[in-house]
Formats: sequence, structure tokens, C-alpha cells
Amino acid sequence: MTSAPNAEPEIEMGRRSALGWLVKGFLSLWAIGAGVAGIAFLKAPEKEKRPAEGVVRCGSFSALGVGEARFIRHGAEPLYVIRVSETQVLALPAICTHLRCVLKWNQARQTFDCPCHNGAFDKNGNVLSGPPTRPLAPYRAEIQADEVVVRT
Amino acid sequence: MPSEPDRQGPSLRGWLEERFNLTEMFSFLTSFGLFPTELDARRPLKEAIAEALSRPFPSYARWPRVLGILSILLFLFLGVTGVMLALYYQPTAGDAYGSVTTLVRDVSCGSFVHHVHGWAAKLLILILLIRVWRFYFQGMYKGPREALWIVSILLFLFAVAADFTGRLLPWDQHGYWQTIRGMEVLGALPVGGSLLTFFVGGASPDTLVLLRFYFLHVVALPLLLLCLFYLNFSTVRRVGLSFSPGESRAGAGVFKVHLYNLVILAALVFGCLVTLATLLPSPYLAPADPFSTPAGVRPAWYLLASHAFLQSIPTLVPSWLRGLLLEAILACCLLLPFLDRSPGRAASQRRWALILGVGVLALWLVFTWMGYRMEVGR
Amino acid sequence: MIAALLLAAALTSSTSNQCVLCHPDVRVLFDRSRHHAEEVTCTACHGGNAQAITVESAHSGNFRGVPKRRDIPALCATCHSDVEKMRPYNLPTDQYALYQTSKHGQLLAKGDERVAVCIDCHGSHEILPPEDPRSSTYVRNIPATCGKCHGDAKLMAPYGLQGNPAAEFAAGVHGTLLLEKGNLEAPDCTRCHGAHGATPPGVGDVDKICGQCHATTRTYFLQGPHKTAMDKAGLPECAACHDRHDNRPADVGMLDKVCLNCHGADSAQAKLALQMKTSYASASEEIDQAHALVQRAAAIPLYVEDYQARLEEARTALLESLPVMHSLNLASVESLTGRGRGIAREVESELNGKLQGRRWRMVGLLVFWFYLLITLALLVRFRRRAVAESSR
Repeated sequence: MTSAPNAEPEIEMGRRSALGWLVKGFLSLWAIGAGVAGIAFLKAPEKEKRPAEGVVRCGSFSALGVGEARFIRHGAEPLYVIRVSETQVLALPAICTHLRCVLKWNQARQTFDCPCHNGAFDKNGNVLSGPPTRPLAPYRAEIQADEVVVRT
Repeated sequence: MPSEPDRQGPSLRGWLEERFNLTEMFSFLTSFGLFPTELDARRPLKEAIAEALSRPFPSYARWPRVLGILSILLFLFLGVTGVMLALYYQPTAGDAYGSVTTLVRDVSCGSFVHHVHGWAAKLLILILLIRVWRFYFQGMYKGPREALWIVSILLFLFAVAADFTGRLLPWDQHGYWQTIRGMEVLGALPVGGSLLTFFVGGASPDTLVLLRFYFLHVVALPLLLLCLFYLNFSTVRRVGLSFSPGESRAGAGVFKVHLYNLVILAALVFGCLVTLATLLPSPYLAPADPFSTPAGVRPAWYLLASHAFLQSIPTLVPSWLRGLLLEAILACCLLLPFLDRSPGRAASQRRWALILGVGVLALWLVFTWMGYRMEVGR
Repeated sequence: MIAALLLAAALTSSTSNQCVLCHPDVRVLFDRSRHHAEEVTCTACHGGNAQAITVESAHSGNFRGVPKRRDIPALCATCHSDVEKMRPYNLPTDQYALYQTSKHGQLLAKGDERVAVCIDCHGSHEILPPEDPRSSTYVRNIPATCGKCHGDAKLMAPYGLQGNPAAEFAAGVHGTLLLEKGNLEAPDCTRCHGAHGATPPGVGDVDKICGQCHATTRTYFLQGPHKTAMDKAGLPECAACHDRHDNRPADVGMLDKVCLNCHGADSAQAKLALQMKTSYASASEEIDQAHALVQRAAAIPLYVEDYQARLEEARTALLESLPVMHSLNLASVESLTGRGRGIAREVESELNGKLQGRRWRMVGLLVFWFYLLITLALLVRFRRRAVAESSR
């Protein structure tokens, strides 16, 4: 131990403690990083990104007018959500039962028209004309808190 | 009694020391190799730790003794990452793959945790295997280390079992079919085979089998491994660290130095795991399809030698006998300390054992290679 | 003796139809038929006395025997054109009238008895309704039924009919769908040629026939210049490029070859064809590239469902462009192929962005190692201090 004048040990101590705090801060970043990563890990993933459940969220119910249909993208199997009345909503696959082209909703005729071979389905999915033989099989659709939710 | 708390003054530690025996609580650290001796539960924690740290201690964070502490470090990483994975994993055949996909794709750091878990498992098995071989070649199974030898072999086997059960859990094509191939190999062993069938209920995994594998992987095997690790370090504390004859006990310092060695080692291991997980992540595969076998699926690498062994013995020998042979080899390995009659540990005294060891290692490597090649044509 | 025979006959016959005593082989066939189920008797077509047990009395009265070929259509029509008789079965009654307008009917009226009459397609005794899969008029069996004559080169030569339409049809996409894949919506011979009124379509009617199903393509075809041009040149519209019976699936590769059948290789029309083909092919390639990128991203894995959905839309746009090509309107074609290409490009750029973002992980790894090495240096320093302290 030194017996130097008082000023030096103080400066020494000041520098040492500053360095010490710097080192402590540097090393504690590991703990902070681990904490942040852990908390981010614990955060439950958003509901949209749970494809395994087969539940598709299809937007607001009140924004859909009576007699209107909304096209919902869903991977390789898109669907339409049609508001058939004030309180009822119907969900149908948007794929033609003939050769699997994507259907278009014809608002004026209230039908689904297939651009490939002129197949047509009414708004309940029944075949009106053209080559399709099978009607569109509806999905279960519910309204949860003004949101249309479809179970595929 | 009252004099000690007064000395501590109005600190948090003092407040706790009056109510709990902190030293006793922290003495568990000794059990798993972190501290060299029991902490003296009669003293307050700060004193007990200071005393332990200043104890002279030959650091074993050096080759070849580092393998032991390395294995428990890896086990610790596996445990932490495993607990994190268990938060998201769903152990049913229908949901397993989807839950792993959510984990790896949508959860922050999920992919990182998943791959660290995978790499730590691979490294753990490798380290435990190297450890067994090192014990053999350095004669570390001779008295009074028989228990240590047996515990080391069991550690390796149970770690392999944990790896095997863990492969099925993601329910992907590769894991599913590897498990089936592996169960074929295990089912060929006489007693083990019927035990396996009893516990697993058949050769092809379904959701019930998956649940049992999950139970084994998450509850039973970690507990067993923890017990074995405890036995391992407890035995080491009793018989002392293993120094080969002629190896110097230099590099001694106090335990505090050894502790720093351990922290440095842990940091390096963590760095390796992070690097491996980032640069060589395991590929994301298709979900399991019981009706379509992917090309080139082999049993897991540690089973390849047994697989080749069972297949390559001429068919004159019935299959139960082949399995029995394998089990006999395993029994010989476990009972080695009692079978080996050489007088001491030095290489000169154990020439035959060394030759046999090299031979068995070579044979094992050859059989593993054969097992690998057997599947190429499929 | 006669009494015993009568008794035996009465016991063995299910109805009082004694024809079967002498004609048991016919009975086997007839018992399967629809006529038998509806209790139409032998005498309805052949006349005679069904109760008689001797040949003379059975073959007496209005017995016709085996009807002559040229009389058969009229004979069948005695019931099948009678509205009162057919109403309870809800069967049409226009078959005979249609037949007389058909090529078969016209030639029969001129005295050619080699042409098809009712029994050639429907069978004589074993007639089953067209809904029955065993019937020769079941939709999947019709190409074979027509092919019995129309696939026989020797039979068809006097009429100047070449080729084997049945074989050609089977090789084409309609034939494959109908005969191999069992898609009953696919056309058979009667859908294009008519059944009882079977006639080869007129040159200007081909688009109407194909347009029964391919309505969208027909709409665009009528907008283009080919309709009037082909009718004037006597070319069979759709069949001029797509073959009559051996129809192949839509393939933009055709634009290179088929147009040159009429147009010169340097003509503006050939250039237009090439432009349409290039437009489609480049959009298709772009979509395939985007698809490959999506597969790569899914293997990491990244969330790709939205991208897959957008690529489906792009593919649909491309599929829609195929009928539009028949209008020969390059702008309309390019608006669709352009949309497909645009979507594919968007998907590619977004995914590439995401994949590039992952490269930052390497940077992260370097930063991590930098931090780790500094930490290790600090730890080594603390350790040395501890060694120094302990050796004191």
C-alpha cells in the first residue's frame, strides 16, 4: 500500500470506481440482453399468425353492406364472405368446383361468375349454369365482436 | 444468536440471514460441481463463500478434466432452452408440427432457442462419448472409480435416449421416420425390445407414443440425468480429481481462480452455441406423413453401428442372439472395472486393455460407416 | 301331352310370353332391358301372338319378324314419338323428327341402309337408358358406340370420311377427361354433333358449339377479326387451330406454329402472335421465379401464406389472358399478363427484402463476438488479479 499524498489516492479511487462502474455496466448488458430476449420470447404470437387453427379473420361485419361480398385471401384457398341479411353472414370458398379457377363476385347479378368456362353460382353457392356440377360448400362463419371469423 | 445480526447492520442480507439459512440454501451449488466442498451452514453466506473461494484448489477447467464440467454446462443450456421451448410446444400428433412452426417462425428468438437446443444436444452427446473413451484409455475406471465409470456410461446412454426421444417431438418427416428406424434397431434387442414395446406400445408412433416420448424427454430423462450428474460430482468429491500418473498437479490456485475459469468456459461455450445456431441451423422440414417414407432416412448416428452389427451377422444366427450379443457387449462395458485384472493405471501395465480399446473403437467406427452406407441404396 | 306342355310352359314363363320358349337367348338379353322393366312385350315391335305355343300361331297375324333396317326408325317412333305414351316417363318425343334431319336420316331416306338406325346405337333387345353405365348410350360409352362405324376406315371411305374420330377424341383432352378421368361434364360426340340429329356442324357454327362451354373464349373470338375471315375462307373456326377431335390443352407454344398455317412468317399477324406469346411467357416465368422464392422462404421458415395467395391471383390473371388472346387485342392481353407479372414482381421484391434482412444476422453475430471477446478479456483480467492475490 502506498503512503502517497492524499490527493493521489483520491484520484486513483475516483478513476477506479469510474472504471469499475463502466465494467459493471458493460457486463450487465449481458443480463439486460438476456432479459429482453426472454421477455420477447414470452410474448404470445399475434392471432393472425396461427395458421394451424384453421381460423380466418375476415374483417369488419358492419363495414360489409347487405348483399355485398368480400374477397379474403387465404393461401391457396381464398374465400368470399357474403352478408346475406342484417344479421347473417355466409362464407363460401372462392374456388370454382369445375376446374378450380378463382371466382368473381358479380354484384349486379348477385352471383359468383367463373371466368374460365362461364360457370355461375348463386349467393348461396348453388350452381346456376355452366359446367360445375357441385355447389360451393359453405364454411362455418361467425360474428365475434363485429368481426367475421370463419372456420375452414 | 443476537451478536451476529447486530454485526451485519441494517442490510438486506442481514435481514435475510436472520430468517433463512442462506448458506444451507446455496450449498446445493456444491452438489453439481460448482463448489469444491460443502459450505459451512453455520456461518453466514458471505463468510462461507469467501472461505470456499480462498481454498486452494487445482482447477479442473483444463483438458482432460474439463469434459465433466463442460457436460453439465451443456446440460444447463439444454435445460434452460428446453424450458423455454416447452412454453410453446404442444405434444399431440395434430398440433406438434404447427406449434414448432409457430415457435420457429413467429416467436422472437424462437428459432434461436430451438437451434441452440439442438446444437447443445449434439455437443453433449459428443462430449459424454469422448469422456467415456478418455476414462477408458487413461484407465480411470480402476478402483475406487468404478462408480464413476458406470455413471459416465449411464450418462452417455441416457443422454442418447434423451436425444432419441427428442427427435420425434417436432413431428417432421425426418424425425418421425428416424424414430421408426431407430425403434426397429432397439426392438431387435431381446429384453430391451420387449420393454420398449411394452412402454411404447408398437412400432409406429402415434399421438400416444408422442406423449410418452414427450414425458420421457421433458420429465423422466432430465431428472435421471440430473441424478447421474449429482452422483458423478459426488463421486469425484470423494475419490478426487483424476490425474494420470505422472501428470503434474500444477496450475493450482485458489478456488476463486477456478471459478473465473468456469465463467470463461461458460462464455466460450455460449459463444460456440450461438455461432453454430446462427451459421448451421437445422433445416425446416415437411410435416410427418405416415404414408410416405422419405428417401435416405437412416437411424440416428449413434444407432448406426448397432444397426449394421445386427444386420451383418450371418442369418444362421437367430436375431434374438444377435441382440443378446449387443447387450452382452454393453454389460461388459459397464462391468469393465471388475473384469479388468491389470494391476495399475499406467499404460505399460494395461497393454492388452489399450489394444482392445483401440480395436473396439475401430470396429465401432467401421460398423458406423457400414450402417451409413447400408442405407444409401434405399 | 299338350296339356303337360301347356302346364310346363305356364310354370316356366314368368308372364304369358311364350316367345321365350323358342327364343331363350333373346330372352336373356331382353330381360336386362328397360323395355322389359316397363312391360313392353315382344309383340310390340315384332307383332305376332305372344300367347301361342306353336310357331305357326305365334308367327301369325301382324307378325313382322326381324324388321327391315329402313323401317326401324319409324317402328320405334310408333311409341317414342307418341306424346301420350311418353308423357308418364317424361321422355322427349322429338327423336324421330331429329333423326330425319340428321345425316344418317337423310342418307337412309335416299336408300342407304348402311347408315346408323336406332338399334345401331341403342341395341335391339338389351336397350338400357342412357343414365345406366352399362348402356351403349351412357355418356362414357358413346365414343365407342359411334366409333363402331366412324372408326372403321373401310366403312367410312365411300362417304369421304377420313381418320378415326373416336381414336382422335380419346387422345385429346376431352377424351381423356371423359374416358380416363371419368369427368361426366366433358363433352362426348353428341354434345357437339347432336344425338338423334347428328350432323357435322357448319363452318360458321363451330364457335357456337365450342362456346357451349368455352363461352368466354367465344366472346373474345367474336370480337376479333378471325370470325368473319374464317367464315369467308370456309375454315372451321375453332377447329382450324385446335383440331376437331384431338383437342389439346391450351398452350401458348401454339402461337409460334399454328398461326403460320395461314399467315406468313414475316407478317404483322405472326408478329402479334409472337408478342402475345412473349407477354404470356415472360409473365409466367416471373411467376415461377416468385414461386421458387416463396418455397425458399417457406423453408427457413418465413410466413408465406399471403404471398402464396397473391401468386394465386397472379396465376388466375394469366389464366384469364388465354381466352382474351382470341380477340387478338394485344392491349387487353397485356393488361392481364402485366397484372400477373406485376404481382409476381411485388412478391419477389418483398421477399427479397425479407431475405436480405436475414443477412443482418451475420452482422449481429459479429457484434456478439466482439462483445464476447471484450467480456472474455475482462474476465481473464479479473482472473489474473485473483491469481496474484492468492499467491500473496
